[in-house]
Amino acid sequence: MAEFLKIKQELIDAVSELDEEKVTELTETALRDGTEPLDILEAVNEGMLTVGRLYESKTYFIADLIMAGLIFKEVLGLEQMTELFHARNKNKIGKVVLGTVQGDLHDIGKDIFRGLMETNSFEVIDLGVDIPKEAFIRKVIEHKPDILGMSGVLTYTIDAMKDVVGALDEAGVRDQLKVIAGGNHLTRENCAYIGADAYANDAFDGVKICLEWVKEKKNQGEL
Amino acid sequence: MKEMISPEAKKLAAERAARMKAVLELKEPDRVPFTGLGGDVVAAYAGINSYEYNFDFEKNRQAVLKWLTDFPCDTPRAGVGGLDNLTMSVAFVDFPDLANNFFMVNGPMNDILKMKFARFPGREVDEFSSQQFIGGCNMTSEEYDELIADPVKFSYEKILPRITGSLADLGSPTALAAMARLGMEKARQGAEMRKTMQAVAELGYPLGGGASFAFAPLDYIGDHLRDIPNVVLDLRKHPDKVKAAAESILEVLLKLTLQGKATGAATASFPLHLNEYLSPKLYKEFYWPTLKAYILRLADEGMKSRLFCEGWHDAHLDTMLELPVGWGTAAFDKTDVRKAKKVLQGHTCISGGIDVNVIMSSNPANIDEYIKELLGDMMPGGGFILGTNVGNLPRNTPIENIQAVYEAVEKYGQY
Repeated sequence: MAEFLKIKQELIDAVSELDEEKVTELTETALRDGTEPLDILEAVNEGMLTVGRLYESKTYFIADLIMAGLIFKEVLGLEQMTELFHARNKNKIGKVVLGTVQGDLHDIGKDIFRGLMETNSFEVIDLGVDIPKEAFIRKVIEHKPDILGMSGVLTYTIDAMKDVVGALDEAGVRDQLKVIAGGNHLTRENCAYIGADAYANDAFDGVKICLEWVKEKKNQGEL
Repeated sequence: MKEMISPEAKKLAAERAARMKAVLELKEPDRVPFTGLGGDVVAAYAGINSYEYNFDFEKNRQAVLKWLTDFPCDTPRAGVGGLDNLTMSVAFVDFPDLANNFFMVNGPMNDILKMKFARFPGREVDEFSSQQFIGGCNMTSEEYDELIADPVKFSYEKILPRITGSLADLGSPTALAAMARLGMEKARQGAEMRKTMQAVAELGYPLGGGASFAFAPLDYIGDHLRDIPNVVLDLRKHPDKVKAAAESILEVLLKLTLQGKATGAATASFPLHLNEYLSPKLYKEFYWPTLKAYILRLADEGMKSRLFCEGWHDAHLDTMLELPVGWGTAAFDKTDVRKAKKVLQGHTCISGGIDVNVIMSSNPANIDEYIKELLGDMMPGGGFILGTNVGNLPRNTPIENIQAVYEAVEKYGQY
């Protein structure tokens, strides 16, 4: 443990500098030395927070977020870390059902969002791409998520998104969750048209909104 | 063919061509050139679905002509839509009479080739959806050396079989039959396209001098070979190989673009993709050097370039100043054209400005005001082409909003 304190800052820096090889090497060394996986995960999360700040200050761009996501996935892929991650599943801060809406087959934005949400301790049920409204409703009823995330790259996806919200209404579950729409083309106006609670032009903004929602819900004593 | 075009149409076409020429020379023309509106709404306006628009050449022609008659612009879009099929052009680059024909795969061609990255309405997606390019990882990181050594051989022998259903087994009867069918289909489409272009010319649009395709070398790797998440990883894990591959690909792509010039193309059109993903540091190290060399080599050959800067391009605007004055046009998506003008005025022709969201969700009065302000800011000094940020207006875009755009351009677009 004392050993880990020495390399902790190094690990945080390696994550924030997106040095994949160094992150893996430091993590493996720490695990071999008997460091608690939880401590490692905390250091990695701290590095991820720096990545987020660098993205907000426009030092990092989307490619860097993709890289950060890959590093996070790689660390979690290490055997002892996977066990921890699964154990921590019980302590998730919120549940999200996510998918790219019908008529659109793009997944990069959705995948970056999923990665960032998982980093932030959300449980994400990813339905994939080209998801019809019926499938969204079925999964919402089955998983009872706190948040429904709809992704779309193509301009016309606003209609498919509006249909999903309409179907939530019809199924009588609209008031049981928050709805966020994600896509580069979205604006306040078409978010109102869709009937979503919020929209995000990039994955990072989306995560911030979801974190706010969970905080509000917690403050209201619902979680 | 020319005798059938009326003197009025000829006059209109000459005016339109002069307008575009003036802005490319960074001057003020008689009116602001307008690239017009388009997308799935063109099919809807003619009462047909996207499947019919993409697969039925007669219906497509009627839809295009109806649209261009009611909503005239300076640079018409005509013909059925298609998706980039760059690998096939690279694979056949040594056959100049063929290579450029393969660059776009449209619906009927895809029925023959069965590209794994392509989704067309009425086939892989429903008949009202847009065609879509979904990419995919078709190459491992261990294969960079082969790509670097010979991009043409590699694209033909390794990539083509992986991305096409019909050419999976090169040399098999299935593959040979597909190539023979493709030849017949291209002959049929060529005749249809000539008919469409003749009708478009009769409406007063200039023919010829179109655009040859061009691709940033790193986008070939990102969109067609490795896919985006993997190429991002490669920039960190195999930086030297990515650079060497981009340089190797540059030579082949240049050859393809110049083949387009030999058949009459006046400009080279680059759809940039990875630009938005990359920080200035990565952009300048990996993306820009080969793109810049490409544009400079085309300029040496007397060809202007047009970059469509997808997404945000704000962080990379200054790199364009490394190009000679009047090198070509930068078209913008999310980047504010006013901001671009501050950096590029007198150096680069700027295109775009209209956010399609405004046309989709605003009303005629607001649109009038929006276009008035935009033109007021962008027209002075010339070198500006009015257009939308992205090409596709959805099917249910309100027609009164579209009319409002054209009326406002008419009202405020005069110099």
